[in-house]
Amino acid sequence: MRWLILTMLIGLAACRSVPKAELSGLLSGAPLPRAVARPSFVLTTTSGDTFDFGFRTRGRLTLLFFGYTNCPDVCPATMQNIAAVTNRLTSLERQRLDVVFVTTDPDRDGPNQLGPWLARFDKAFIGLIGPIEAVDAAQRAAGVATAIRAAGGRDYAVAHAAQVLVYSPDDSGHVAYPFGTRQAEWAADLPKLMERWTGR
Amino acid sequence: MLLVALGAWRWGQLGRAPAARQRYFLLGAALLWIALDWPLGALGGYLAAAHAGQYLLLALSAPAFLLLGLRDALDTRVTANGAADRVLRFLAHPAPAFLGYNLILLVTHFPDVVDALMASQAGSFVLDMAWLAGGLFLWWPVCAPIRYQRLKAPLQMGYLFVQTIPATLPSAFLVFADYPLFRLYELSPRVHPALTPMYDHQIAGLLMKIVGDPIVWVGIAVIFFRWAGAERRADLASSRP
Repeated sequence: MRWLILTMLIGLAACRSVPKAELSGLLSGAPLPRAVARPSFVLTTTSGDTFDFGFRTRGRLTLLFFGYTNCPDVCPATMQNIAAVTNRLTSLERQRLDVVFVTTDPDRDGPNQLGPWLARFDKAFIGLIGPIEAVDAAQRAAGVATAIRAAGGRDYAVAHAAQVLVYSPDDSGHVAYPFGTRQAEWAADLPKLMERWTGR
Repeated sequence: MLLVALGAWRWGQLGRAPAARQRYFLLGAALLWIALDWPLGALGGYLAAAHAGQYLLLALSAPAFLLLGLRDALDTRVTANGAADRVLRFLAHPAPAFLGYNLILLVTHFPDVVDALMASQAGSFVLDMAWLAGGLFLWWPVCAPIRYQRLKAPLQMGYLFVQTIPATLPSAFLVFADYPLFRLYELSPRVHPALTPMYDHQIAGLLMKIVGDPIVWVGIAVIFFRWAGAERRADLASSRP
């Protein structure tokens, strides 16, 4: 009986680790324990248009990142590394990908701040702005910790989630990329992500 | 820096050395200071280009002047036929100098080594000292006291020129890699938005060759002009009745 229970436990553990085992060595990102649905939230683009994330990115490979333009390290490094690769994609590949940056610092990141900041990396990056309540709701919908604004004057910092969430054409998230993902890793993974979990 | 100053004081030679030797030593110490202190020392943790600048100073520039400054002291203080004497004589041979310098050069430019060492103060110090040691290997066959030198001036020039060749390898990797090689410099906070990690790596690679090689060429030029001057004086002396 003890052996039976032990075997069942090992079997359960093995089932639980299937996604990781399947992805290990294939993608550099961290596999999620289970697939999560593409979140739904509505914010505003830097050009003032309403952007329904769930609807506008449906069926497309989407990288979603929450950050702010005054971030001294994580945000510029992350966007820089993604841009270094997206700028080298073929136009066909680039058309199949959305990179969405949601500001967690709407007080300072107006359209005139966020737009040019993102364009510095890649003009096709989509910047989203909204009231702090809407931004917090977007983070909750995406399943990341809500950003916290530190005390201070105008030069305050914002503690925010540092991972890049990836939603596949099957409208699910299977993998997330922590801070520290390198350009070479994005270059290797983006084409794979386009072909995997296509939903077809 | 403290070790260099203590070493000079301990040897007790600096005060009594000729003024030129003192100037060489102080210039070498000043170059070490520039390499290790703010701003270059601080930027070396953020920019591969600044790190390359440190390499130019620590490995290619400062050791030559430190050795020239200590030349007389080494000559008088190292006992003939002692263990230190034998080691210094062996290191003045071009083969161990070539191997020592280039082994250090290649290992300390390997991305995994740089990323691992630069993650801590101690590791960063090890890297700095390795470069300094590499520079001492490089310059010893031409800056050592005369009794240690194995090569005549033309061969010294050839030796220095050959020493510039292996640096082409890490330099080329830095310039022509598709993506940044060093994790540290790829993910560190940007010093300037326009200075992307890729540009930073390329500048570092170019600095190693475009600035690094001419530093060694200056050494070659000095040896050439001294040799030519000595030849001219010898010719004049022999032509006198």
